[in-house]
Amino acid sequence: MTDKVTVRVQRYRPEEDAAPWEQSFEVPYSEDLSILDALNQIKDQQDPTLSHRWSCRMAICGSCGVMVNNEPRLACKTFLRDYRDRGPVQVRALDNFPIERDLVSDISGLVEHLETVQPWLIRARESPVGEGAYLQTPEQMQRYAAFGQCINCGLCYAACPQFGRDPAFLGPGALALAQRYNLDSRDEGAAQRMQWLNADVGVWSCTFVGYCSEVCPKDVDPAAAINRGKVASDLNYAVNLFNILRGKDNA
Amino acid sequence: MRKPYVQRQRADWWLRNPAYRRYMLREATALPLLLYALLLMSGLYQFTRGEAAFLAWLALLRSPWLLALHGLALAAAQYHAVTWIALVPKILVIDSDRLRVSPATVQRVHQLGAVTCNAGLLVLALLLLRAAGGY
Repeated sequence: MTDKVTVRVQRYRPEEDAAPWEQSFEVPYSEDLSILDALNQIKDQQDPTLSHRWSCRMAICGSCGVMVNNEPRLACKTFLRDYRDRGPVQVRALDNFPIERDLVSDISGLVEHLETVQPWLIRARESPVGEGAYLQTPEQMQRYAAFGQCINCGLCYAACPQFGRDPAFLGPGALALAQRYNLDSRDEGAAQRMQWLNADVGVWSCTFVGYCSEVCPKDVDPAAAINRGKVASDLNYAVNLFNILRGKDNA
Repeated sequence: MRKPYVQRQRADWWLRNPAYRRYMLREATALPLLLYALLLMSGLYQFTRGEAAFLAWLALLRSPWLLALHGLALAAAQYHAVTWIALVPKILVIDSDRLRVSPATVQRVHQLGAVTCNAGLLVLALLLLRAAGGY
C-alpha cells in the first residue's frame, strides 16, 4: 500500500461560505512530492472544485504562493518530505490579502503598489533609439541585481505585519523595486520616487521585522532595500532642511 | 459574483511565528530600559531634594528587585545592541567606485565601536568614583 500524507486545505467558496474552513485530503506520498503536486493531485483526482493558482512549477512565475503551516511559501518550491512526522500539513491562502476563493488571493493591492513606485527607467532626457542602449558595467548592475530578482509572488506581503495592519503600506516588494531602480546607474528618477519613500505609506511604515527577507524565495532581501530607502529619505530630509535654511524655496 | 473574504490581522499575530516573537522580543527590550531611565530620573529628583533623600534612594537601589531590574536592563540593552549591529551591514552599504568596504568589516567596526564606547564609559565612571573618594 502506498504511503499517504494528510493535507489540510483551506476552502472558501464565496457563493456558499461566510468564512474559510478546512478540508482534509489524503494524498499518496512520494519523496519528490511538492505542495503544488499535492494540490494538483487533489484537484485532478479528488475534488475538481478546489481552486489554486500555479503556472511554471519552478519558482519563477510567482503564482503559487500559499501559507504552509503558517509560513508564506511557494507551493512548487516546498516539499512534503520536509514536513514528514510533523502531523498533517496545513495549506492556506496567503495572509494579509483578501481571499477570492480557496487558495486564490486577490493581489490587486500589491500590483497597484508596484505601479506606484514607477518601476521603470526614468530619464531626464530620453535618448533616441538610434543612439543605442543605455550602457552599464557589470559592476554597476551588481549594485541592484539582487533587488531585481523579485517575481511578485507576494510572500513578503503575507509575511509583513505592517501590511497586515494597513494595506495602504506600499510594502516590501514595491519598496524593494523602487530601490532597484534608484540604484540603477541608468536611472534618473530617484527624486520622483522620493515622494513615495517619504510618504506615510512609504519606508517609514516599516519597523524592520525582517521576516519578508526570510521568506523571499528569490533572496531579494526587501528589508535591506527598505531600510536603505530610509537612509536615502533621511539624506533627502537633511538636504531639504539645509536648502530651506539657506533661503531656497524649492525644498 | 465576487465576494472576497477580507482577512483581519489577529491581535495575537506575533505569537504565531518564531520570527515575529524574536522581533517582539527585540522591541520589548525598550521596556526594561524605560524602567531603568525612570529609576535614574527618580534618583536625580531625590538628589534635588537633599542629601538624606538621595542616600535613601541609594539604599533603595540595593533591593533585590532593583538589582534584578539592572540585570534585566543590561541584558536587554546587550540583546538590542547585538541584534541591531548585526543588521547594520544590510543598511550601511559602502560600495562605490571610489570606496568599497565589505559587510563583515562594517559590522566589525560597529561592534568595536560599541565595545570601545561602553568600556570607555565604564572606565570614566570608575575614575570619577575614585576622584570622588569612592562610594
